[in-house]
Amino acid sequence: MTTMPEIMSDTQLQGYTDEQKYQVFNKEFMPHIDSMYNFAFRLTMDEDDANDLVQDTYLKAFRFISSFEQGTNAKAWLFRILKNSFINDYRKKSKEPAKVDYQDVETTYNSDEASETEHTTDLRFETVQDMIGDEVASALNSLPVDFRTVIILCDIEGFTYEEMAKILDIPIGTVRSRLHRARNLLKDKLKEYAASMGYNKNDD
Amino acid sequence: MSGTLHSSTTVGMEGRQATTPKKESCDQQAKCLKRIQSILDGGATDEEKQYFKDHIEVCQPCIDMYNLEKCIKEALQGKVEKKCCPEKIAAAIQAEITK
Repeated sequence: MTTMPEIMSDTQLQGYTDEQKYQVFNKEFMPHIDSMYNFAFRLTMDEDDANDLVQDTYLKAFRFISSFEQGTNAKAWLFRILKNSFINDYRKKSKEPAKVDYQDVETTYNSDEASETEHTTDLRFETVQDMIGDEVASALNSLPVDFRTVIILCDIEGFTYEEMAKILDIPIGTVRSRLHRARNLLKDKLKEYAASMGYNKNDD
Repeated sequence: MSGTLHSSTTVGMEGRQATTPKKESCDQQAKCLKRIQSILDGGATDEEKQYFKDHIEVCQPCIDMYNLEKCIKEALQGKVEKKCCPEKIAAAIQAEITK
């Protein structure tokens, strides 16, 4: 299993020389820049904010490079820094409400187990197969950011539950339940979208 | 990463002509959905995998859920545009760290 040291941890300081720092940075960090940008863009929904967020994250990663242990999961380590920067610096000024309402949504979905099943019944996989990427992206973008985040990490970036737990600083059980709820919401959005586009006309 | 079972096809399609009737309702749908998601995410326990194997071929609602979940996951992976980082950003980062 990979480990992901705390950014500020001083327990595993690596004594990199300047040259080694650049080497690690270019070999381990830079290859993930497109994934990082895509994550930043899907979080902020804005190209300029995504540019800033990626730059800030990489500069932080360089500053704290001594707490990165070579051979461990660089991508997850970088995603964690990006997610924290987003929460601390960007969420405040983004168009989304400062107090994100996912807690409410989470509670609502928690309180009604039965409704979770109903969500799955009348969206057909053929309908989703017929949709184009932009339609799926619109549905994803319409989710509250915490739900959007778990879907991006899991389905788009392919992180494991364990990696997601570390990136998000939440227990694995919470990762699973948040994903479950995020997907129910996404299915609702896809269903609404399909209905508005007349995708379901061949339903029998 | 994604499911190890039926990774490139939907399940149950051939079953429409099969002689054994499938369960038309599932009394554990919410639980089954969670299991199905764990399987597709590659995060299922052995127990979950075994239950899924025993259950999936005989329960029509679970087959439908599996196909839908898999299809959504594939759409997210394959159809949603992946934005690439502008080159000027990578260049700006390099310039900043080598200052």
